[in-house]
Amino acid sequence: MSTFFQLVIEGLTIGSFYSLVALGYTMVYGIIRLINFAHGDLFMVGAFIGWTVLTTLAATHVPWGLGLLAALVIAMLLTAVLGVAIEKVAYEPLLRSSRLSILITALGVSLALENGVLLIYGPGFNTYPHLLTQAGFSIGGVEINDAQIGMMLLSFLLMLGLYIFVHHTFVGTAMRALAVDQDAARLMGIDVENVIRLTFLLGALLAAAAGVMEGVYYTQINFFMGFLLGLRAFTAAVLGGIGNIPGAMAGGLLIGLLEAFGAGYISSRWTDVFVFAVLIIVLAVKPTGLFGERVVERM
Amino acid sequence: MTNIAATRRGVPYAIAAASILAVVVLPFVSSSYVIDVATTIITFAVLGLGLNIVVGYAGLLDLGYAAFFAIGAYTTALLETLGHQPFWVTLPFSILFAAISGIIIGYPTLRLRSDYLAIVTLGFGEITRIVATNLGITGGPNGIYGIASPTFFGHALASPRAVYELGLGFLAVVLVFTSRLTRTRLGRAWISIREDETAAEAIGIPTLKVKMLAYVMGAVVGGFGGSFFAARFGAIDPTSFTYLQSVTILIIVVLGGMGSTPGVMLGAAIVAGLPEALRFLQLWREFVFAIGLVVLMLVRPQGMWPAPLRRRVTLPPLAAEDESLVPIAVEPGTSDVLLEVDGLSRNFGGVRAVNGVRFGIRRGEILSIIGPNGAGKTTVFNCLTGVIRPTSGRISWLGSSIVGLAPHRVVGLGLSRTFQGVRLFANMTVYENVLVGMEPRYRTSIPAAVLGLHAASEEDRRHLLSCRRLLRFVGLEERAGERAGDLPYGDQRRLEIARALASEPRLLLLDEPAAGMNPTEKRDLMGLIRRIRDGGITVVLIEHDMMLVMGVSDRIIVMDHGEVIAEGTPAEVQRNDRVIDAYLGDDEQETDGELRQEELSAWDS
Repeated sequence: MSTFFQLVIEGLTIGSFYSLVALGYTMVYGIIRLINFAHGDLFMVGAFIGWTVLTTLAATHVPWGLGLLAALVIAMLLTAVLGVAIEKVAYEPLLRSSRLSILITALGVSLALENGVLLIYGPGFNTYPHLLTQAGFSIGGVEINDAQIGMMLLSFLLMLGLYIFVHHTFVGTAMRALAVDQDAARLMGIDVENVIRLTFLLGALLAAAAGVMEGVYYTQINFFMGFLLGLRAFTAAVLGGIGNIPGAMAGGLLIGLLEAFGAGYISSRWTDVFVFAVLIIVLAVKPTGLFGERVVERM
Repeated sequence: MTNIAATRRGVPYAIAAASILAVVVLPFVSSSYVIDVATTIITFAVLGLGLNIVVGYAGLLDLGYAAFFAIGAYTTALLETLGHQPFWVTLPFSILFAAISGIIIGYPTLRLRSDYLAIVTLGFGEITRIVATNLGITGGPNGIYGIASPTFFGHALASPRAVYELGLGFLAVVLVFTSRLTRTRLGRAWISIREDETAAEAIGIPTLKVKMLAYVMGAVVGGFGGSFFAARFGAIDPTSFTYLQSVTILIIVVLGGMGSTPGVMLGAAIVAGLPEALRFLQLWREFVFAIGLVVLMLVRPQGMWPAPLRRRVTLPPLAAEDESLVPIAVEPGTSDVLLEVDGLSRNFGGVRAVNGVRFGIRRGEILSIIGPNGAGKTTVFNCLTGVIRPTSGRISWLGSSIVGLAPHRVVGLGLSRTFQGVRLFANMTVYENVLVGMEPRYRTSIPAAVLGLHAASEEDRRHLLSCRRLLRFVGLEERAGERAGDLPYGDQRRLEIARALASEPRLLLLDEPAAGMNPTEKRDLMGLIRRIRDGGITVVLIEHDMMLVMGVSDRIIVMDHGEVIAEGTPAEVQRNDRVIDAYLGDDEQETDGELRQEELSAWDS
């Protein structure tokens, strides 16, 4: 039984990373119906920026807590700038074209980010400084790491912030209006392009935060990490009902749990089979994902 | 008129001839490295043409196409190494297994919307790869090696040149197969579901079956390509069948031009050839390629060589004075009532949009259904045509129930419709829109059409003739080769009527046909409706324009709040007090508004 709870803790920790990245997929999809393949790579870029900041600061005797905070903030800001720049250059000109052409530019951007990082940092693994102690506590034989608690808490706070932003601010309302009907939103005086850019900015912020946390948690990062995580985060978004913000959060946690249980009880070699099989079954039974779509389909 | 827009016909042929010459001469003048790259391009062209059916024609996003490629390759590899079968014997099995897996993945998922389909196919692709990596029989991560080269009349096809020529043979087969296939009615049906799936179903296309066929045909080509891949390298392993491979094939299709055969081949040449040409960049190669991809898409979002409209068509001649609609054979011995509706109700959430409606439609009449907005008129149409299921009630067509039938089946029985907002297949030509509407009338099989059998081409000719007749009937004969989306609004409405007539219905349902028309167009429409009835087709229309309704109808049904409140001749209805109340009274305006919303989300555009 304690193995079970151990896996739950592990699953929720990685699941909260998936949730953060899944939110970016789901928000962008909700607004412009694009599967943003480059989003997973923003997560990777965030991890690398965080690594650069941390290793630079490590030489200057800055207290590690402060360094971590700096890494997190700088990574989030720079990645957000990158996310908006990508939207501006590669997506905005194609917003009125066929949906597949914008999908292909997203794939192109994804490849460019991976290979760009490969050129700068090389093909190997880069190692984050070991900041986290194994300190923690134990409840009934289940080891809970302080770091795990911290990361889940931070993820939760970020998601809460997003939720409040989307539901209780004017711009958030504009965002939701745009998801329902872009033309009507434009006619109501909403600056559609700006709101779309803001959506990419928010998605990039969350992805970068997840990237730095993943780096700190697993300590090994490499240029390809965004691809694998992105795939699962995208799956999480669909599982929860793409376009649905709480759905993406829940979907991410669920994928994290599935992965932990798959690895713990079956074999990590079959984890993805397990994850995708669950996804296919869920969609066959409930075609709009677990929590349905927030956006209505117009006919 | 008989020969529509054959502009610049020579150019594509010249390019095709030059390419064929270059491709044939290539192995004699090039190094084996160049031949090898060319063989890779050929492999990708084969895969691109297969995926083009799924993505380019049917508009279904597939992110796991490499799975079919893998199934073909592993089938050939296993049958050769374990079963000791020659290459040519393994080929039909590759195709068969790929087709079966197309059905397995297609069947449970085709009801999903396109983007969900994308992730399911992605999952299927990953599952296939992981299974191949983890199973013993497939050689695990090391794969299968020692696959013998195919032989051709005793000659082993092992040299780069021989493999290249074998690849050309495969490409030629796939080219002939896909181009013939996409020129049949199945090809048109695919494009129609890409353009507007709901409209396609509503005019008689069995959309689920048609989507399934797109999957299976794409899978067949993928499996075929996989066999060639295994034969070419003599060894295969799971790294050739990754998600990245699926994505690469997708890039080929979109970059080249969706639905365009030369485009896909050009896309294959760019995606497989460009990285080779960029080798001098060394480490920067992939990065530059990625940027190049983004730039190309930004410059040409429609693809490098987009599919042209099929303007070229020779409609069979039709005598100048022949303006009749195809005469409809009147069913002998059946009653005078075509359709009977009894106790029809439909709820949306808590709202009763239609409440216990009862009426009959008599053969040969023009019947109008009128009523204020939100009265439930379109909901009645949607129930009659199978688009939504009634909550309760009976609908019988010539005595048998049609409740619960899929829309395309209802069309097959002889009930055809148009939409409140125009829902044409905008990116198809005018005549193609009409031809798609003839789907329920086809009797010859798709294989017969692919093989070009006499019966199939004879049927095509008949349908083209009838297409011409219909276009003349609605006055669009001169515009047959134009893009439907480019027509002026009034013409689009008339084209929609022609498309609905194409299934040779006995009952035509028109949903607000005069909306947005000017007075002249309305008068023409009135004449058209009368001529349709004179051609033997019963007409039911929903309309707000009272001039039209009173001028054309034999009988009128008035609905309000989901109920029939009056029924009779135009003169009777105009005198009816309840009708006057419904139109002028405003005691329950608010509920009208709500009802309207529900109805909107259910169907209207």
